[in-house]
Order: sequence, then structure tokens, then C-alpha cells
Amino acid sequence: MDKSFVLKLTDLPRRPWFWAFAASVLAFGATTYLTDGRGGAGLLSAALTFAAFSAIVGLGQMFVITLGPGNVDLSIPATMTLAATLALKFMHGETALVLPGLGVALLVGLGAGGFNYALIRLLRIPPIIATLSASFLYQSLAIWSNRGLRIKPPEVLADFTTGSFFGIPNMTLIGLLIAVLSWIVLERSIFGRWVSAFGQNTRAARLSGVPVEVVRAVTYISSAVLASLTGYFLASFSGGAALNMGAEYLLISIAVVVIGGSSIAGGNSNVPGIWGGALLMFLIVSMLNSYGLGAGVRLIMTGTIIIGIVAAASGKGRAV
Amino acid sequence: MNIKAKLLGAAALVAVALPGHAIADTTDKRIALSNNYAGNSWRQAMLESWEKVGSKAVSDGIVAAADAFTTSENQATEQAAQIQNMILQGYDAIVINAASPTALNGAVKEACDAGIIVVSFDGIVTEPCAWRIAVDFKEMGRQQVEYLASRLPDGGNLLEIRGLAGVFVDDEIHAGIEQGVSENASFKIVGSVHGDWAQDVSQKAVAGILPSLPEIVGVVTQGGDGYGAAQAIKAAGRDVPVIVMGNRQDEMKWWAEARDADGYETLSLSIAPGVGTLAFWVAQQIFDGAEVPKDLTVPFLKVTQDTLDETLEATPEGSVANVEYSQADAKAVISDAN
Repeated sequence: MDKSFVLKLTDLPRRPWFWAFAASVLAFGATTYLTDGRGGAGLLSAALTFAAFSAIVGLGQMFVITLGPGNVDLSIPATMTLAATLALKFMHGETALVLPGLGVALLVGLGAGGFNYALIRLLRIPPIIATLSASFLYQSLAIWSNRGLRIKPPEVLADFTTGSFFGIPNMTLIGLLIAVLSWIVLERSIFGRWVSAFGQNTRAARLSGVPVEVVRAVTYISSAVLASLTGYFLASFSGGAALNMGAEYLLISIAVVVIGGSSIAGGNSNVPGIWGGALLMFLIVSMLNSYGLGAGVRLIMTGTIIIGIVAAASGKGRAV
Repeated sequence: MNIKAKLLGAAALVAVALPGHAIADTTDKRIALSNNYAGNSWRQAMLESWEKVGSKAVSDGIVAAADAFTTSENQATEQAAQIQNMILQGYDAIVINAASPTALNGAVKEACDAGIIVVSFDGIVTEPCAWRIAVDFKEMGRQQVEYLASRLPDGGNLLEIRGLAGVFVDDEIHAGIEQGVSENASFKIVGSVHGDWAQDVSQKAVAGILPSLPEIVGVVTQGGDGYGAAQAIKAAGRDVPVIVMGNRQDEMKWWAEARDADGYETLSLSIAPGVGTLAFWVAQQIFDGAEVPKDLTVPFLKVTQDTLDETLEATPEGSVANVEYSQADAKAVISDAN
């Protein structure tokens, strides 16, 4: 066997994203073991579909968290809800309006991200407080605009989000595409370097000529735009926008970043890990549900597993 | 003590000794709604019903005010502070949908001590001085299994979708379902997930557990989760079992379409969001001098194969099947309980 290949294999556990994928494989194996391998394909397809939603919001959150301590976007659920509500209301089930509807969702994202940034920059409010209070505004706008009524997505959009292409769910393809683009931006573009520099030492970055405020604005706006996009697809996937549709995704968006091996202190992030974390978040719950454990045990186990993975991933001798 | 005071005292005694007579004037009474959450279609319908019935009662001159207040964070501490504000604002009655059955008891007691009538509904409070308009959630769970037993005499495997873990309503419905299963031993619950009363969460949870489940003949639910379950089961390529629905318009629409396509039959049950308006009228009746027991029960709203079309017709798109209660309904509920 090629020596460099062996070296690479032993190197794997030192990759920050390795543990999330390893745990996902274990959870998948444990679940299918229960049924002697039956249902494996179904579980894999469900995991790939649902993980896509978590991965897309997780990528946005990852860029924000990379900016360093105190940077987190708590307005993701409300932005998802507002974008989905306005877009579905605008489309009103009309096939011809699918693309303009997407435009509406993206505009909501631009607006929400811009507003979040304005609060942080102009009013000098800490990001946690700014995005949290802005989220009340977005949620109230969503309530006010449609009073919680569920509007059906256009048929063609519903079919697209639940459909698949050569056996791979469409949502997975979109999630992977966004992940690849994010990877290129983060690892291969000057902007990615700036984001990391911002997170490692904002003052040093500013002094060395990084346009820090542009970096921060673009980061918060992309997080909101990705949240809006997820809201648009999730609402089409699940048969309509609901006021509480984003609630789960606040915790998930942060969890996938942490599980995926990105540094919660900022400055160092990791795109493949987001997908690993997203798959794991779905598979853990499925595994514990399949083993019939009660809600209490399930929450304790989920927490323990997350702590275990974060501990393993941040262990000694971490590869860069 | 002069004659006048004695006469007044005597009159008061007579009024106390002769309860049950609607004699008092309620036109100057101000009623507030303390609501802990507004973020789903059920709560929105509840607020809308309150607004409709309350503003009508105000314009008819039956009460002076019927204001609704909702806390933003669904926290008991926040709602307790809200109730304290209502006491200071001088409301005569507070109608509560509570974030917790016990955590608000201190604030509720303060309100009672200030002479305020407190009526709780849906999310009830255990403080003895308050009135409770409760739904028999346990019975709601039990009837689901009973219905499945009538449809599927041979029994079989069931999937249970629960609500939000740790909430009283979830425990009650679950207990009812367990009781139903123990009464109908041919049924077995082979899987249980938490759907948080939301279609997208249920869809996700069901999609995750389905691959490991044997064939299931029925799905017992808690409301707001049936459509998501149907979507997940359809996506997995399985035959759709009998899914008990929870009165949401999208669930009923799906049911009607499945019925037209291949004669699908099921049952749908939930509480009507308009139960808030019943609490409103009960508060008004207490002012009016009616003798009202502290614990009242309101029947849940059931939609069957026969009533599906008319209920679907009456329910706004994307909302929940609803009933608004009138003063006469409140009187009937009170006299039934007495």
C-alpha cells in the first residue's frame, strides 16, 4: 500500500471534522442494526434530506461564529419564518411565481441581515442582543403579515423539494452545492482569509488593512440570506410556512458548528464538519427514537454525545 | 352604627345568601387576557376569537374592556410580571392561558387577594382561588385508541407522536393513549417520537424512526402533527395507516383529498381555540353573580367522516377548526357542572 495513503489514514482522526462523521456512521450502524439492515436506504435518504436544512443554516452561523467571541446570529429562526411566510404568501400557490418568490425570500434575508448589522454597527449593540431583539421584530412581522395561517407552496416547488435526482434528494444537492461554495469562499478566497483574520484578532486584522466592517456586514448578511433560503425550502418541503417552523434551528445551527470542529472562539472554521454535524444531529435523534428511549434519556444522551465529540475533536495534536 | 349602614349590611347578607341569581351589573367590569404564547396557528386563532367576542361584548355594553396581552418569550417569570402589571392596572378579572400550572400561583394568589377574578383555561393554574376550564386531555388520548380499535378489530402496531417534552398537556394525552392501549391489548406502540405539535418537526422525527419500524396500522397524535406524519410516511413509500388528525385545516384538507381518492377514513380531535371565549364569558358570569364551581370541563372538538366537509368549509385556509362560545354556552357549561 502506498505509504502516503497510510499516513493520511492515520492522520484522519486529527481532522476536526472526523469525529462528527465517525459518530454519524456509528449512529447509522446502530439504528440499522436494530432492523438487521432493513431500512438502511430509507434512513440514509431521510438523513441526507433533513441534514441539508441544518447544514445550510449551519454554514451561515459558522461564518458568523468565525468572527470571534460574542458573534452569533440568534435571529435565524425568526428570519426563516419571516422569509418563508412572505415568500409563500407572495407565491400563493402559483407556479409562475416560484422564482420571484425565491427573490422575495432572498430580499427578506438581505433586509434582515442588513438590519442586524446596522444595529450592531450604528447602535453599537452586542451581536447577541442585537440579533435576539431583531428576531422579535421579524417574528412579529411574520405574525402580523399572515396571522399564523399556513399557505401551501406551489405544487412544482413542493415536488422539487421532496424529490430526488438519480436517487440523491434535491435538497441534499442544494445543501452540498452551498457547502462547496462556502468552502471555496472560506479556504480559497481573500474574503475567507479576512473572516478568519477578523476572528483571530480583530485589531491586528484592521491594522493590517482588512476592511473589517465590510467583512462583518457581509458575514451577517450571508447568514440571514442562508436562513431565508432554508426557510423558503423548508416551508415548501413541509407543506407550508408556520410561525414556529424555525424554532428548532437556533440550537441546531450552533450545534452543527461546534460538533463540526469549528472553533467556538472564532478564527478557525471547517466546512465539511458542518455536514458531519448536521447528519449526526438527525441520526442521533433517529437512533434514540428507534431504541425507544424516553424524552429525558434522549436529551441527556444527545447532550453527552455532543460533549464527547467536541472533547474528542478538540483533543491534543489537532491538525490544521 | 346607623340605620343606613345596618340596612346596607342586611342587603349584602341577602345578596350573599341568595347566590345563583344573575343580578349584578357587569358593564363597568374590565377583563384582561394574559396569554403566554402566540407563535402558532392555534394561538393565533385563539387570539382572534377573543378579539372578536371581546370587542363585541364591549360594544354591546356587557363589559367595559376585554384586552389581550401576550408575553414574548413563553416564560413563567415573564407572565407572572405581566399578571402583576394587570393587578396594578386595576383589571377586575384576568383570564389566563398559563405557561406553567404551578409557577404562576404566587402571582395568581396576589391577584385573588386584590379582589380580582382569575379564570384559567387550556394551560390551567393549580392555585385554589382561581377557576379552571380544563379539557380532558387524557380522555382525548384514550378516545384515539378506542376509535382505532373500532376501525381495526385485529389491532396491530401503532406509532405515537407526542407533543413538547415536559409539558403537562403532553403527559396527559400520552397517559390517555397508554390507558387506551392497555384497554385494547391487541394494539402495541412500537415507536414514539416528539413532534412538538409542529408539522415540520413531526415530519422530521417520523422520517427518522420509520426505517426501523415494522408495519404500522395506526398513528396516534396530539394535534398539529398529522400532516407532517402523512408526508413522511408517503415519502418512505409506505401505505398510509390510519392517522388520527388534530383539526388543522391542512390535515383536514389532506384527509378530504385522500377520502375522495381512495375512501380514506379517520378521526380528528383537538381543543377549539375559542375556549378562550368560554373563559371570558365565565368571568363575566361570575361578576353577574352566578355560582360557578372552580373546576369546569369543556368538551373537545371532534371532526368525523360525516362532519369533515362542513368543518373544512368553515375553517379558514391554514387555520384550525374553531368554535366561538356565547354567553348562553357559558351558562349551559356552568349549570351542567352545578
